[in-house]
Amino acid sequence: MRPLARWALVAVAAVALVTFPYWSAQWESTRFATTLLRDALILAIFALSLDLLVGRAGMPSLGHAAFFGAGGYAAGIASQRLATDQLPVTLGAAAVVAALLALVIGVLVVRSEGIFFLMLTLALAQIVFAIAFQWTAVTGGSNGLSGVGRPMLATLDFSSPDLMYVLVSITFVAAALLVWGLARSPYGRALIGVRENERRMRALGYDTTRLRLSAFVVAGTIAGIAGALSAYSTRFVSAQDAGLGNSVRAFVTVLVGGAGTLAGPIAGSALVSFIERVVPSLLPVELRISEAILGLVFIAFVLFARQGMVGVGRSAWLRVRTR
Amino acid sequence: MSLELVFQQALNGLSFGALLFILASGLSLVFGMMDVVNLAHGAFYMLGAYVALSVVQVTGSFWIAMLAAPLALALVGLVVEPLLLRRLRGRHLDQVLLTIGVSLVIVDLIGQLWGREVRSLSAPPGLDGSVGLIGGVYPVYRLFVIAFGVVLAAAMAVVYRRTRIGMLIRAGVEDAEMLGALGIDTNRLFASTFATGAALAGLAGVIAAPVFGVQPGMDTDPGLLYSLVVVVVGGLGTLSGAVAGSLLIGPADTFGKVLFQDVALAVIFAIVALVLLLKPTGLLGRIRIAR
Amino acid sequence: MGGFVKNKLAEKRGYTYRLTRRQFLVASSAAALAACAPGAVTPSASSSVAPGKALKIGLLLPFSGVYAELGTSMRRATEFYLRQNDTKLANRPVTTVYADDANVTATGIAAAQKFIDQDQVDVLMGVVPTPLAYGIRNAVHAAKLIFIDTNAGGNALTRDTTNCTPSCKSPYIFRASFSSYQISYPIGDYLSAKGTKEFFLAYANYGFGTESAADFTTGLKKNGGTTTGNVAPPLGNPDFAPFVTQIKNQPTKNVYSFFSGADAIGFIKSWNSLGLPAAGYKMYGAGFLTEQDVLKEVKDLANGAITSLFWAVELDNAENKKFVADFQKQYPLLPDVFTVQQYDGMRALDEALKALGGDTSDKDKFVKALEDVSFKSPRGDFAFDKTTHNPIQDIYIREVKTQNGQTVNTISDKIAKVTDPGK
Repeated sequence: MRPLARWALVAVAAVALVTFPYWSAQWESTRFATTLLRDALILAIFALSLDLLVGRAGMPSLGHAAFFGAGGYAAGIASQRLATDQLPVTLGAAAVVAALLALVIGVLVVRSEGIFFLMLTLALAQIVFAIAFQWTAVTGGSNGLSGVGRPMLATLDFSSPDLMYVLVSITFVAAALLVWGLARSPYGRALIGVRENERRMRALGYDTTRLRLSAFVVAGTIAGIAGALSAYSTRFVSAQDAGLGNSVRAFVTVLVGGAGTLAGPIAGSALVSFIERVVPSLLPVELRISEAILGLVFIAFVLFARQGMVGVGRSAWLRVRTR
Repeated sequence: MSLELVFQQALNGLSFGALLFILASGLSLVFGMMDVVNLAHGAFYMLGAYVALSVVQVTGSFWIAMLAAPLALALVGLVVEPLLLRRLRGRHLDQVLLTIGVSLVIVDLIGQLWGREVRSLSAPPGLDGSVGLIGGVYPVYRLFVIAFGVVLAAAMAVVYRRTRIGMLIRAGVEDAEMLGALGIDTNRLFASTFATGAALAGLAGVIAAPVFGVQPGMDTDPGLLYSLVVVVVGGLGTLSGAVAGSLLIGPADTFGKVLFQDVALAVIFAIVALVLLLKPTGLLGRIRIAR
Repeated sequence: MGGFVKNKLAEKRGYTYRLTRRQFLVASSAAALAACAPGAVTPSASSSVAPGKALKIGLLLPFSGVYAELGTSMRRATEFYLRQNDTKLANRPVTTVYADDANVTATGIAAAQKFIDQDQVDVLMGVVPTPLAYGIRNAVHAAKLIFIDTNAGGNALTRDTTNCTPSCKSPYIFRASFSSYQISYPIGDYLSAKGTKEFFLAYANYGFGTESAADFTTGLKKNGGTTTGNVAPPLGNPDFAPFVTQIKNQPTKNVYSFFSGADAIGFIKSWNSLGLPAAGYKMYGAGFLTEQDVLKEVKDLANGAITSLFWAVELDNAENKKFVADFQKQYPLLPDVFTVQQYDGMRALDEALKALGGDTSDKDKFVKALEDVSFKSPRGDFAFDKTTHNPIQDIYIREVKTQNGQTVNTISDKIAKVTDPGK
């Protein structure tokens, strides 16, 4: 497909995505699909950021939720302590806090590899979780941070379901473009180089440690923004947002969707959201097999569709094309 | 802290460490031999505990459960490895995803079969009393656990160093391909290793049950979390690593939780972070040559 | 890259298949599943429900995770009540929709939002963990959805607080369970008034535990009592020996504890195996320390523990005797406190509907009707405090004893008509 045609298609898709609540109002008079899509997009932003680490830079982090949670708390606390609901302030606070936290943790973990990197990120994230859980005065402790303010831009109040969705979807498009741009840039290639053969990269003169650290900080910042969006959506931040369960969820989303691709984390988020939110409402609650279904889906993907959903889709597309 | 108190807490720490060793030994074995981080290890541990519940209910004997649970888990391992893991040799991220999937399925099945109530298992008669010790009484069962841990470690060391199967395992840890080239049936070796790892997890499920309890969520906490911590901190894949890890984490977690109460949740992870920052491959870990 | 499979037919035709049949099957089934999604999210017909139309109750309960037992209990209670009443409340048929929060706050908040948006329930009931109750408070209040909380005991949910932090009351929120104040302050007051003034505290280090310990301490202080220190294991702590050892090495023999479920079981077992009863230590606590789920596992190890709660299986009033007997006829089990909480919630709803003649179209009237309910529950007289919407209830001082081969909570005293202060 010619590049211009492809760009036009992407633009149309993006506009359709952002305006979803408006053109779907006919058959979607309740806000359920909008809410579901909104949460899936937040997960997608989170997963895209993790894929920068897992898929591109070869850094398997199991502590990424620490930044998601930190962003959420920062946005919530900023709106309460600074008595302002203005987006630039609260979202900015989320990005700054997440970036700083990613810098601190990044400096500690960036020299580790493989399973040690995994455990170190897990351990440090659990420390963040413990702080969130126990520091009641600041974070609300185990009861969570309630009363997160409405995101506002001048006098525009984003807290209505439709506008909240628009905010999230615009951020998603921006994040996707950013990640896409990074991946295609020399910076992104360098990251892949570090993943494939770090020694050679160093021999070529690249400061691999700084490369990885910067990837860690960028990924953490985007995750923090996703966390802030989550806080705005539910007007609540729970300590679990920074917990291991959330980190594993993102990790699995990336793997199932296809690590190292742009569409992968997005497809993975769609599937995981579907299994988490839609499947339970289709089955009687006694059966409660959504966890087992998820497990079987993973096993099936890993055994039969190794490239993840996107890889499978790509192969199918290629097969159709080369007929 | 008085000396008496320190002594009692040291005993607590040691018995806790012994339980951690029994729990982590299987994970360490599988990783050392097959380079697989079996994230279903916690689910195996949980299944062992629930199987023990049923066996005790039917036979009334804790000891029979101690035999039955590992056997049951060995069977599970013998199914999972050839059916699933074998196809993924060398593909680490895929193995992670696969074992997560297995874990989800097993944990959900446990909930379906045994229900989701909080349960418990008592120490067997004979071991359920307390003995007089410096500073009061101490539960016999915890002393038994320490003894069991020592015996298990010693047995594993003997098997490892003085038997043919142990030699094969050590060789496999070094270079599995070469082992295959030498005509050893690596498929069977790996399947039995995985089964043994699962059996050890099941054994831990039984032995730890009178202390840690039997409830939903136990696959992650304490199951997988603590075994991962011990294995990684101690030095991946070696028996001495698992021993070192448990000997460090057991007492450190015990004292840490009590001395630093407000951050008790974080203590064990702070220990992990500290160790890995000072010694990136764990206490007794060696740099592994990538295969 | 692994995973590419060469297909002989493809080779003959001159191109390489990158897809095997299996992969294609998996992909297409995933796509098919995804295609079902729009169908799944089609909203149920929206309409304001007229009298005579079914009353839709949404129940947000845990069916997986550490609190799964409670969810099952409360679901059983709902079905038990409905079965006794022909699946009708005030002659209006009832439909129930269940959702699993899995003890993940984000999941619960999303499920509550779905109840509001898609299922359009008339009443929300359930909610076990306090963070979830706090998390949905604003959404419920904004949607003017009647929410009868049948477990979460965080004080703030039915109080006036500054800046609604951590939460605050709402006219649409009622509680049929308890506030943690009610099960902690009265026993502190009671014990210190009777002369036991010095206590050591042992509690799970999370919202519920810290709140209970704090309210107990306030009760003690009212009569000049004090606390001499504390141990606070993390929630879900695996090994209680280190903490019980700390208790044993300090001089205060009276220990007020807050633990529930698996933590309570671990704590009580350690307490015994480390010889605390023989050394003269006495266990006191909030009722959940020795509720059925715990007693069935620890049995006589808990003997002698003194706890406070608004109910016990052994409670000797006509309503409770009938309740327990009927329940046992239906299920081969004893009812537990969570059953009672949910059962009373259903009863309150039923009574309100009777007063309204089944017409729930006027929210303000609905709220007033609920505020005015008053009935005899298995726990005694039940009524909501009109200011806070928290129950006004008797708190019983209970002692664990083994009688007729069963370990139960026996009632030793009663503190009548305790209400939450509301601030």
